[in-house]
Amino acid sequence: MRRLLLTAATTTAAALTLAACGTTEPAADSTGKTSGAISLTDSTGAKVTLDGPAKKVVATEWNEVESLITLGVDPVGVADVKGYKTWDTAVPLKNEPKDIGTRGEPSMDTIASLSPDLVVASSDLPDAAVKQLRKIAPVLEIKSADASDQIGQMFTNLDLIAKATGTTAKAKTARKNFEAKVAEGKKALADAELDGTGIAFADGYVTSNQVSLRPYTDGSLIGSVNEQLGLKNAWKVKGDPAYGLGTTDVEGLTALPKDVRFAYIGNDGDKSSNPFSGQLKKNAVWTSLPFVKADKVHRLPDGIWMFGGPGSMEAYIDALVGALTK
Amino acid sequence: MAVTEAPPATRPPAAASRTGAAAVTAALVLLVAALAVVDITQGTAAVGPRQVLKALTGQADPGDASVVVASRLPRMTAGVLVGVVLGIAGAVLQAVSRNVLASPDTLAVNAGSYLALGLVGASGVSLPLLASSGVAFAGGLAAAAVVLALSGLGTGTVRLVLAGTALALGLNSVTEGLLLLFPQQTEGLYQWNQGSIGQNGFDGVLQMLPVALTGLVGLLLVARRVDALALGDDAARGLGVPVRATRVTVVVLAALLSAAAVTLAGPIGFVGLCAPALVRPLARRFRGLVRARAVLPVAGLAGAGLVLGSDVALRALVPADTAVAVPTGIVTSLVGAVFLVVTALRLRDTAGAEAPDRLRIPSRAAFVVTVAALVAAVVGVTLAGVLLGDTKLLLGDVANWAQGRAGQTVTFVLDTRVPRVLAALCAGGALALAGTLVQAVTRNPLAEPGVLGVSGGAALGAVVLVTTVPAAGSWGVAGAAFGGAALASAIVFGLSARGGYRQNRLVLVGIGMAAGSTALISLLIVLTDPFNAVKALTWLSGSTYGRTTADVLPVALVLALGLAVAVARRTELDLVSLDEDTPRLLGLRLPRARLGFLVVGVLLAATAVASAGTIGFVGLVAPHAARALVGRRHVRVVPVAVLLGAALVGTADLLGRTVIAPAQLGAGLMTAVIGTPYFLHLLVRSRRAT
Repeated sequence: MRRLLLTAATTTAAALTLAACGTTEPAADSTGKTSGAISLTDSTGAKVTLDGPAKKVVATEWNEVESLITLGVDPVGVADVKGYKTWDTAVPLKNEPKDIGTRGEPSMDTIASLSPDLVVASSDLPDAAVKQLRKIAPVLEIKSADASDQIGQMFTNLDLIAKATGTTAKAKTARKNFEAKVAEGKKALADAELDGTGIAFADGYVTSNQVSLRPYTDGSLIGSVNEQLGLKNAWKVKGDPAYGLGTTDVEGLTALPKDVRFAYIGNDGDKSSNPFSGQLKKNAVWTSLPFVKADKVHRLPDGIWMFGGPGSMEAYIDALVGALTK
Repeated sequence: MAVTEAPPATRPPAAASRTGAAAVTAALVLLVAALAVVDITQGTAAVGPRQVLKALTGQADPGDASVVVASRLPRMTAGVLVGVVLGIAGAVLQAVSRNVLASPDTLAVNAGSYLALGLVGASGVSLPLLASSGVAFAGGLAAAAVVLALSGLGTGTVRLVLAGTALALGLNSVTEGLLLLFPQQTEGLYQWNQGSIGQNGFDGVLQMLPVALTGLVGLLLVARRVDALALGDDAARGLGVPVRATRVTVVVLAALLSAAAVTLAGPIGFVGLCAPALVRPLARRFRGLVRARAVLPVAGLAGAGLVLGSDVALRALVPADTAVAVPTGIVTSLVGAVFLVVTALRLRDTAGAEAPDRLRIPSRAAFVVTVAALVAAVVGVTLAGVLLGDTKLLLGDVANWAQGRAGQTVTFVLDTRVPRVLAALCAGGALALAGTLVQAVTRNPLAEPGVLGVSGGAALGAVVLVTTVPAAGSWGVAGAAFGGAALASAIVFGLSARGGYRQNRLVLVGIGMAAGSTALISLLIVLTDPFNAVKALTWLSGSTYGRTTADVLPVALVLALGLAVAVARRTELDLVSLDEDTPRLLGLRLPRARLGFLVVGVLLAATAVASAGTIGFVGLVAPHAARALVGRRHVRVVPVAVLLGAALVGTADLLGRTVIAPAQLGAGLMTAVIGTPYFLHLLVRSRRAT
């Protein structure tokens, strides 16, 4: 043990000598501020001031990444790049941003090394982390989801990010496009006499031999879009206050009305995320459900992020309307 | 009908009080049957008793019938199967080790299986059920083999439990690391780890049934030899029973049984421990229940009763949709934790004082060299911690930063990195000092805040505050952690104080407390924030992520206070740790001195948890290593232990932050990975000494 300690001490001393006294960055000089400052208030009520429209932006949550791409701002840093590429192909990345670590614990070091003009952070991050981010760059804290007004929150976020990046015109276009898409989808459904149809959207995962399902209640983003399309959410399960998601098992599906349409999104890049076309195929409860028997189960394309921005939701509307009216 | 499970296949052969044993078995069968009937009427679908009855008589509509056939009956059968299998595995393990605390949990079988399945999950391979049960079996068997090899069979209860729980902690840390690194691939594994008997049809049960039957039949075949082992190794040998071979066979079969249970339902905690213990008093009453062939089925029935009872209670108490999210294993773990504490209190403590560490008294020069080397190591770790990270810095950057002249990036990196480094160092030092104090007061070389449940209580307190008041500040969290730790330690030390902190009792009560608080934390997380397991795991795995200077302040202050107390009262510490009588002879008021040191120890542990989450093993390893290096006098042990603790956690934090950057692992995971082997090494060494 003592030898180990001595070795450690010697190694340390050697390392210190090697690391001695260089710098990786010159000492700071005071620089003059440019004009054209932007000031705004983020979701938490904090005032954010920017010298000008942010160009180098880092985003910690995927819906923010999607909003940035929609606004034509390619983020320089994104949490879990690989995951984004798997789960959100509706609005793909146009550049190769730096991976800043996990969505739950983005690396402060990596973010700082990108020296961004702006960090768009999710309110799901620990407060302490946001406090630290504020030291790197102005932080726009975004409330990722709010079950009481999901679509409103989505556009509030988009507008905030647009204001900070000087792309309000694009945000307006995005909103108009989304509204047009909703109207178009609503009309298509009405033409097919599908307005007022009950719909249940869910995802699920499999571990070992157990299937867990996540109902998207009317408080979820997808649920809200469904209602805008003139459909009726069939879930009676209670959702959580932020994302509007419930929990249930296969049995819980029997509570759905007989004439319901069932839609889901899985991912071929993640086998455990799709029990509906795998594990449940042979389950007697599943196969005896009226909507399964009537072949009213719709798998929507992979890569539509269920918690994304207007881009994902437009892709969702196209996919859903296409599936229902086919 | 509901009572689909067969009555115990083998009735005990004619014995003196055969009717008594038969009556007990019949009563248990009835109880399990009643629970089973209630269980199939519960669930998320609106299929109550009437619909179930109709379904079973073939009159229900097809939807209801399918719920009963494809969901309720499989769940109930899985509950019975898992309970039976775990109860029997526990009973037979306890019999061959002549140890009332042997079970799949305490032999780390479950943890081994969990890690094996986690590895498969993280690699993205999805295996068919039978293959994953093979993987689980291999993992569980390997873990059990390590534990048994280290603790030795039939050599004292505590050693086995300690080796088992320590290994389980280490293995679980690795698995939790995997969960954090591969959240997508391992989604659901966290929840699954708590154990849930819900099933997707009969497939799983049918595939596991042959495995379970193989194990059961095998065990019944060797039952006579197991009986012989109960007489003692020599007597068994005299009867011509191959002792070693029997033990190995039994352990392999028991691991097979628990692997079947783990694959089917995840680790359902403590059933293997409780079920046989519930049967034991019966065996005293009815002589027919003395022999293994009779006891095993009864223990199995008791296990089935426990699992089904927990499931029924859970579904009766919580609304159906929430009950889906709460794993059955949490309930059995809570029951088991209480049970472990009660057993510990009733256990006759025969273990004498642990053989003291070899009393080598190193020279003063050796002490000075050790301290100097350690100081250099801590300084080195600190500097490395400050310089290394995703962004590598040089000393000049730090110099600029210290003078407030650094550029934006460097300023930021150091502003966030320095508090983390300090949090790790302070938490390490505080835990080491807490361990030193607790070990001195209890004269128990295996006591430490983590093992004793004090850290668990602190984490529970902190998690309760964080989930109810999300905006709580650092002092609030530290206060809540202290509240939890104080409550936990009041219970643990209060219960084991009688008879002067007897070795076994203290550690077993503590382990019970630790298990209970972990189960409660899991329950809290599942109920309040089911989609944020990662956040919770981060907190529990001992992370310095996002720490600010304000978070470091409580632990730094308490560490300073603790050091002052320890140095001022160093002679008292020496005396307290010596034996029961000497301090009294010298006029020291023993209870008051003990209480004082304990309070300081608890404060240290609580603030450490508040600043860096639950970090295990440091409180155990550091004081131990310190005594090995510089002898037993506290004037030497305290500084060396504190420095060692700081260096250990500092290194763990550094590795966790850099090895897989930009993603990161908690310091607690890294210390467990480093600490587990050391702990096991300690156990081996102390075994050789006795």
